[in-house]
Amino acid sequence: MRLRRRIKSQRRAAAMEQSPPQDPGRQLQSAPLEPLGHPAAGLEAAVSEDAEDTRKEGPGDGTMTENNFSLKKIEISVSEAEKRTGRNAMNMQETYTAYLIETRSVENIDGQSVLTDSLWRRYSEFELLRNYLLVYYPHIVVPPLPEKRAEFVWHKLSADNMDPDFVERRRIGLENFLLRVSSHPILCRDKIFYLFLTQEGNWKETVNETGFQLKADSRLKALNATFRVKNPDKRFTDLKHYSDELQSIISHLLRVRARVADRLYGVYKVHGNYGRVFSEWSAIEKEMGDGLQSAGHHMDVYASSIDDILEDEEHYADQLKEYLFYTEALRAVCRKHELMQYDLEMAAQDLASKKQQCEELATGTVRTFSLKGMTTKLFGQETPEQREARIKVLEEQISEGEQYLKSKNLEGREFLKNAWADIERFKEQKNHDLKEALISYAVMQISMCKKGIQVWTNAKECFSKM
Amino acid sequence: MSGGPPKALQSTGPHSLRDMPHPLAGSSSEEAVGGDSTPSPDLLMTRSFGDKDLILPNGGTPADTSSPASSSSLLNRLQLDDDIDGETRDLFVTVDDPKKHVCTMETYITYRITTKSTRVEFDLPEYSVRRRYQDFDWLRNKLEESQPTHLIPPLPEKFVVKGVVDRFSEEFVETRRKALDKFLKRITDHPVLSFNEHLSVFLTAKDLNVYKKQGMALLTRVGESVKHVTGGYKLRSRPLEFAAIGEYLDTFALKLGTIDRIAQRIIKEEIEYLVELREYGPVYSTWSALEGELTEPLEGVSACIGNCSTALEELTDDMTEDFLPVLREYILYSDSMKSVLKKRDQVQAEYEAKLEAVALRKEDRPKVPADVEKCQDRMECFNADLKADMERWQNNKRQDFRQLLMGMADKNIQYYEKCLMAWESIIPLLQEKPDAK
Repeated sequence: MRLRRRIKSQRRAAAMEQSPPQDPGRQLQSAPLEPLGHPAAGLEAAVSEDAEDTRKEGPGDGTMTENNFSLKKIEISVSEAEKRTGRNAMNMQETYTAYLIETRSVENIDGQSVLTDSLWRRYSEFELLRNYLLVYYPHIVVPPLPEKRAEFVWHKLSADNMDPDFVERRRIGLENFLLRVSSHPILCRDKIFYLFLTQEGNWKETVNETGFQLKADSRLKALNATFRVKNPDKRFTDLKHYSDELQSIISHLLRVRARVADRLYGVYKVHGNYGRVFSEWSAIEKEMGDGLQSAGHHMDVYASSIDDILEDEEHYADQLKEYLFYTEALRAVCRKHELMQYDLEMAAQDLASKKQQCEELATGTVRTFSLKGMTTKLFGQETPEQREARIKVLEEQISEGEQYLKSKNLEGREFLKNAWADIERFKEQKNHDLKEALISYAVMQISMCKKGIQVWTNAKECFSKM
Repeated sequence: MSGGPPKALQSTGPHSLRDMPHPLAGSSSEEAVGGDSTPSPDLLMTRSFGDKDLILPNGGTPADTSSPASSSSLLNRLQLDDDIDGETRDLFVTVDDPKKHVCTMETYITYRITTKSTRVEFDLPEYSVRRRYQDFDWLRNKLEESQPTHLIPPLPEKFVVKGVVDRFSEEFVETRRKALDKFLKRITDHPVLSFNEHLSVFLTAKDLNVYKKQGMALLTRVGESVKHVTGGYKLRSRPLEFAAIGEYLDTFALKLGTIDRIAQRIIKEEIEYLVELREYGPVYSTWSALEGELTEPLEGVSACIGNCSTALEELTDDMTEDFLPVLREYILYSDSMKSVLKKRDQVQAEYEAKLEAVALRKEDRPKVPADVEKCQDRMECFNADLKADMERWQNNKRQDFRQLLMGMADKNIQYYEKCLMAWESIIPLLQEKPDAK
């Protein structure tokens, strides 16, 4: 069963600045993401780019901004899915699904679209892209991928990854992911993303060459920071709580919705039995026969109508799932802040301790414990020259430390500013999308009720002719 | 005992009962109905007798003296030969007002039976008595005994599993009341059964138990003769029409049984669906507490689902109370009809046995012995009664099922209309733009 509908809230075309395709190198320079040594450095570039970007990109919904003639609309679609077999890393035969990504550019003037690129990607490559984006854009709420394995299924749906319905819904989910990225004012400018859409071979190597895996914050470090950070920004603490709650609620909602779907299916299908028995009964009746027979037919129609109804509802579930997965992206941004804040606090603490040491050495009072102090006590005072030397070392370290703290502070503030800006953007998007989802859900329910009224009215008319 | 042809009834044409004073009751009667309207010309003569003359014992015939040959009463006599339809009905019975009685030995429910009639058999134009299920059961048994050639309507189920169903719950009592009301209406609609003396007593006696005890002493004669057939003589051939009726009833009961099971299954599935809905709605509410701009839309969805849940509950209640019992009644009906068919078979068998016995005796009698003739009569009466009842049953069945199934469709339409209204009403709420900050 092919799902005909694309996800409604999607922006089908994305505004993306496209310099002449022959020179992605130029794009590279202006893009904030050189494979640089320090991810934070990338942020600095992003900072200066950002102000420009928001002016150029507009709300990121694919609409053209009036002043921009150089922008061309890009249409991205994941149009097909295909089963493939190949050899994996361990040289074992495996079956996987590949997805066809087509990129079209729409000429501003005549509105016709030209296919510019088309290539096949599998799910693991999407994952790779996303992991890369997570590392290089820690201040951005990175759009989530559709689920890897089918969850929250009601009994008629298959939990099998190879099931055609699952593959179809995943195709739509992947397309949605690409549209989200390409309509994000910052992410859309990323070179690796651009290559993902255009460079079929060697893309994986290119991504890995950025060395992003090494730059990723270690999980342990992040966990440690979360526990130990003393003064995280309250907005982010609140945001983290919100993400946790939202995740729990949407999970609950999806679970119950699946059960509701199951039950509703049962109710409709049992009515189909009326069709058969009315038909059998009509055979022994004279005047009642026709009315019974035709009413039975309507009962059959009623019973079979549930399949389409529930297929449409899956679409609503998918919209909720996207935001369920978004909570993880929100948490990732919060974690990054906590990590940065923790590093800052550690740096400040370290600086303070060094200053303290220095002061003590200078004044001769020993208040803080130090190994040197201990050994001095045990082995005798050090000479004034030794002390001078130590003070000098410390002063250098303090000076370095102060520089470091200053830059870290700046970094932290920039991160907060940019991250919060993206979070605000995300909130708007979320409110808009979820409202749309609720409206479409209500519309589905209305349609279901109208069908029900129609069928039972028809049946009633048949009964009246008995 | 088969009722004889109905007695001539005092009637003045299509007046409402309330307007007609009973011919035997004067203005001094406390039970007189209405009485302010002008009496019909037929009654004028009786009224002018004066009060004391009008207080006559039951069974008196002053009614007969009032122009029996008048055209309107003639017409009515003719009309009574057909089925009693709405316009010429002269016996109206209602069952209502259930009340609980708590005694030392037991607790039970009684129902008020209100009877309005212009029939001569009734002393008064209106009666109001209280009866309990036991009494209905007694009446039905008496009818079966005394009218074995007729189809007696079924009663609602006698036994209820204690603990599963609450015998005193409003829904149960109401369902039963409706069934008992239907039972009496079917009987009073019947041209023969409605004149049965047991019915009259049931409708009028202040203390039924006294009558019951009297009745116990006399066993009805006809009932006995039909109960047991000696010898086990097999039926030669069942007339086609009765064979067909038998087959029809078999299939009919089967199909109804299937429909009953399907309906029960649907109700069960709907209840399980309801359980899930009742958990589903509140989750939106919890979510709305977490949000800012989405608070009202989410709360709206939660309330909407709540409304749909309520509508669904009403649907399942209605189906349980109104649909299933009527279905079951018809299954009981066809069961009791099958046993009447069997009795008919027995009567035919008895007749054929006697006939054969006579043939074997090779007596040179010019005519058939009296008792064989009597048997033949009995059989032919039985066949005629049964045929007439079957036709009337088929007609009523068609109307009853038409009404029942249309009712089922209606309830489902109403359910969906309620849900539709709920969802349509929140669309504007969902589309509301947030206030510009």
